Amino acid sequence: MTTAGAGPAAHAVCPSCGHAVGAADNFCEACRTELAPAAVSGDAPVAARECAFCHAARITEDGYCESCGRKVGSGRDHVELDLGPLAGVTDKGLRHARNEDAMALATAERGGSPVALAVVCDGVSSSRRPDEASLAAVHAAVRVLLAGVREGADLAGASRSAVAAAQEALTGLDEPGPGDPPSATFVSGVLTREAVTLCWLGDSRAYWFGAGPYAEARRLTTDDSLAGELIESGLVSEADAMALPGAHVVTAWVGADAGGTAPHVSTFEPPGPGVLLLCSDGLWNYRPGAAELAGLAMPAAMTDPLGTARALVRFALEAGGMDNVTVVLAPFPPTAPAPRIPAAAVGDKPAAFATEEKPADEF
Amino acid sequence: MSSDFTVEISQNEYLAVGGDDVNAIVTVTSPDTGLAAPAGDQGSAEIIIIDCSGSMGSPRTKIEQARAATAAAVDVIRDGVAFAVIAGTNNAQPIFPLDYGLAIADDQTRFLAKQAVAGVLPRGGTAIGQWLRLAHSMFLSHPAALRHAILLTDGQNQHETPQQLGEAISLCEGVFSCDCRGVGTDWEVGELRRISSALLGTVDIVPDPSGLAADFAAMMQTAMGKQVAGVSLRVWTPQHAAVRFVKQVAPAVEDLTGRGVPSGPQAADYPTGAWGASESRDYHVRVRVTPAGVGQEMLAARVSLVAATPSGPEVLGQGLVRATWTDDEALSTRINGSVAHYTGQAELAQVIQEGLEARKRGDEDTATAKLGRAVALAEQSGNEATAKLLARVVDVVDAASGTVRLKKRVDDADEMALDTRSTKTVRTKR
Repeated sequence: MTTAGAGPAAHAVCPSCGHAVGAADNFCEACRTELAPAAVSGDAPVAARECAFCHAARITEDGYCESCGRKVGSGRDHVELDLGPLAGVTDKGLRHARNEDAMALATAERGGSPVALAVVCDGVSSSRRPDEASLAAVHAAVRVLLAGVREGADLAGASRSAVAAAQEALTGLDEPGPGDPPSATFVSGVLTREAVTLCWLGDSRAYWFGAGPYAEARRLTTDDSLAGELIESGLVSEADAMALPGAHVVTAWVGADAGGTAPHVSTFEPPGPGVLLLCSDGLWNYRPGAAELAGLAMPAAMTDPLGTARALVRFALEAGGMDNVTVVLAPFPPTAPAPRIPAAAVGDKPAAFATEEKPADEF
Repeated sequence: MSSDFTVEISQNEYLAVGGDDVNAIVTVTSPDTGLAAPAGDQGSAEIIIIDCSGSMGSPRTKIEQARAATAAAVDVIRDGVAFAVIAGTNNAQPIFPLDYGLAIADDQTRFLAKQAVAGVLPRGGTAIGQWLRLAHSMFLSHPAALRHAILLTDGQNQHETPQQLGEAISLCEGVFSCDCRGVGTDWEVGELRRISSALLGTVDIVPDPSGLAADFAAMMQTAMGKQVAGVSLRVWTPQHAAVRFVKQVAPAVEDLTGRGVPSGPQAADYPTGAWGASESRDYHVRVRVTPAGVGQEMLAARVSLVAATPSGPEVLGQGLVRATWTDDEALSTRINGSVAHYTGQAELAQVIQEGLEARKRGDEDTATAKLGRAVALAEQSGNEATAKLLARVVDVVDAASGTVRLKKRVDDADEMALDTRSTKTVRTKR
């Protein structure tokens, strides 16, 4: 895999100091600039624009119209992140005032091999400022997870540390007020060339879609929700449980009041190439079955994670868009990101890159 | 200046479809240490104004205790603070220093001030507006940023009209703050409240002159702790919205609504006076907005704490009051505990004042109803201090329902204490 990236890497330079760097390097050897920082859905700057309601042209830094006070799009309403080896799309949906989902994506190099990782959080809407909660959670978690990956730490342990960091961030975010303290669901996935490490709390999910001869689809997480617990108990069928009022009430989460709830951690060794999907309930509500979701995503997701994530979000919106929806797709085994070139680095996504690798013959 | 002030908002931001009434409690807290003074600070100035009218001589202990209290307060004044003592009669004269300016506190000036105070004699009448005017001109002789006065009287403002007093108060507004104390029971609560309210100070009764020294020393101690002057609450509201009221609700109720000064498009500044370290005050802001559609969010008010500095206003902290329209009744009908609590505390102050007025007019039915309601509100909110004061004016039959009987005989001091302290609130438990 490293040899595949060796050619272009010879021409890559650090965007900060111009020193030559390897395509997969985590840091510039000369100036220690982080070469592949995580991309987070809330980091997109709010574009200056006019208020949709009164057409005043002044929007405050915190996203309100300075004339009529209306909340102007937060910059999180619809965000697409494309790192090449993995991509994600999040959308506020059709019925909610704001997007309380957040995602963070990153690529890294570990022992000479590429790694892809992602975190998805869905703010619990009964809590205070759930939009800030989910964003703070993904920020804190991806930083810890990425550091663990780069340092060669045990991935299950790094995932737990990432949850702990998210927990701490939300505790710091809390201030007295009505409703529950800021809280969010959590699901993270780390893809190495050997395995997928998952960690979760709440009802955001991970699915595996196998490709080619290994075209098996399965759900990799269980829900910490009232419905999830009923299904687990075997007393109620999945369809019946989901139809119950309060089916979506989550029973575990990250937040100041989560009191150190231990996250679920599991490691999945894929039998062959495929795609990992991380998503919020805004998607799986409309198509909970793994095989049905795979039918929507495959095989396109293997070669075009961004386009496929867009298509899945569009599907959720067309099905009703009742909730915020977030979709992250990461083909397995992970590939090295495109070489970084100064100035053109942002938005320079080599369309051919994902097809450059033929993962099947790596097995 | 460090901007370590915190501005916290407590509200239910959810409104039902068509809802236009937004309420929020704004808690402003100053940092515990290192409250830096604004650039160009010239320090503090203090003036003690003592009533030297003839009535202060009967009983003699009144003037004696006033002298002792002034001396106690002078002892608390920090080195370097500009200060003066004024004698108030039907006009006003400086007691110390005699040059109509301010002295700078040190061992010698404090000693000389106390010596001068020891020699004052009660004679003449009462014209409080004159006292304020002299204090005003003496304060302006020095560039201090923090200006504070203590005013002591024992009688009514007999030797000038209420209008003359009003003009003097207006002159002093924003120039200095003033804590007022009434000794004995021959003074008018409404008169002193008018002064303390406009000049962002406190008002209280000291029924027994022997209590004056401790009270004066404590007031001066508090004044010495103030570090930032000229702080305002700036309230921005969206177009077509209206501020219904801005009230301080803790530690005491003070309606600031009429005191707002326009400070930019859709914004007004409401004065909060001077702040010391680790102070915390609550404000109730109520805004009427134009309803928006379900799912939409609006900024109903941006509340900032702004300090006046020589280089212009400086924002020390801010909080956002939001409105989000929902068709989920579970959200829109949820009552915010802080808003409910302070709405009750403001009503408590109001019904006490109305009840006491009715009692004075001889309207016993209204007085019984109002003071009964006050007893119930004090009980519900756990305002024990006010409950105790009420129990000296009415016989409480059942506190929970507010069933009371007016006492046949009420000590004047008890009635005045209830009146002056009616605005003191307790904070919400969080």
